[in-house]
Amino acid sequence: MEIKDIISSGLLELHVLGMTTPAEAAEVQGWAMKYPEVRAELEAIEVAMESYAMDHAVEPGTGLKQKILTNTTLKAIDTNAPSATVAKVIGISPTWKYVAAASVILLLGSALLNFIYYNRLEETDTVLAKTKQELIAANGKLDTMNADMSIVQNKYSQVVSLDGLPAAPDAAAKIFWIKNTGEVYIDPSNLPEAPAGMQYQFWGIVDGKPVDGGMIITSKNDRQYRIQKMKTFGKAEAFAVTLETEGGNPTPKGAMYVMGKM
Amino acid sequence: MPEKKTYTEEELVYLLQNQDQSAFSYLYDNYAAALNGTIYRMVEDIQLSEDILQEAFIKIWNNFKLYDSSKGRLFTWMVNLTRNLTIDTLRSKGYKKQQKISQDENSVSTYQDRNFATDRFDSIGLRKQVSALKPDQKDIIDLAYFNGYTQEEISKHMGIPLGTVKTRMRTAIMELRKTMQ
Repeated sequence: MEIKDIISSGLLELHVLGMTTPAEAAEVQGWAMKYPEVRAELEAIEVAMESYAMDHAVEPGTGLKQKILTNTTLKAIDTNAPSATVAKVIGISPTWKYVAAASVILLLGSALLNFIYYNRLEETDTVLAKTKQELIAANGKLDTMNADMSIVQNKYSQVVSLDGLPAAPDAAAKIFWIKNTGEVYIDPSNLPEAPAGMQYQFWGIVDGKPVDGGMIITSKNDRQYRIQKMKTFGKAEAFAVTLETEGGNPTPKGAMYVMGKM
Repeated sequence: MPEKKTYTEEELVYLLQNQDQSAFSYLYDNYAAALNGTIYRMVEDIQLSEDILQEAFIKIWNNFKLYDSSKGRLFTWMVNLTRNLTIDTLRSKGYKKQQKISQDENSVSTYQDRNFATDRFDSIGLRKQVSALKPDQKDIIDLAYFNGYTQEEISKHMGIPLGTVKTRMRTAIMELRKTMQ
């Protein structure tokens, strides 16, 4: 199409009036880029239509400008405006944008802290559980020691020292004989650990003869390797400990380790 | 129009692209009445017209980056945006439909009503040059520019063949340009 035909077609006028199809509009844009004459003609039509609109101007109300400026500044439309039926572009004010951004940041921060503190809580729980176990163990030991002490401190308690014999010169033991009840306790903590398959047996010497006083537990893993109750003796001249086969014997067969007289 | 122009179109566009408030204020001072006039001729309701004008300016402000000066003058872009917004509003309100029905039912009387309305506007401040247009020339421009009519609608409304709408429009606008010189 020649330039003069383009100009006289009327398509340029329709284009300025917004009446062209998208395809026609693209064609007109192309001509305008290519031909300065077409561009100049388009501009002249635009100026004419602009002038035409100016001639038909209707001044809006005086308050409208301020309203629009306020709305564009805040980017939010006054919801009290009477144009409730007109589709509105409701912006978000910068303040609320910052508030929204801040709340997202706070949420993320909070989530992170939750994670950190949850991990710390788990650690703390583990430590607490361990501490509780230690406390139970310590309390158990304390109970045992209190029990031991109650025996030692008992006002009817009579102490008999059993001294080491040639089989074990360094060995020693203590007997706490509660005179009013006849209960006998032994503290075997200075006996050497019994070899595997062997066990210490306690004897009371009554009327010159050894009487079984029970087996002594000397395993170091056991809390009973402390003061422990033996069989009750109403009377006895002496007490002794021998090393016997596990489970003990009716009469002493093994070596005597310690002995003490009343 | 207040004659206090301080910006060239290029300056104005540059400032608006950078969200300059005072340029926007200037834009309103210079073009609000012209845009309001086009809206008013379509809706014939002062309050609704101003509501749409407000929407239009907010759209212009928010979407200014979409304006491409290589594709036409700023006012052409603004008036097309405003016209489309007005048509959308009328459609959403069912106005346009109502208007079309009444025109189809009795096109002669509405055609005269329109002329009456145009005369009324003429009396409140149109330049003499514009009134020098022939009624048919003014009408074809107004139907397109102020009513957003398509070529088919103009053809039907004015009772002229579709093929001649383009050339009639060209003739009318040529006449308009002459009156401006």
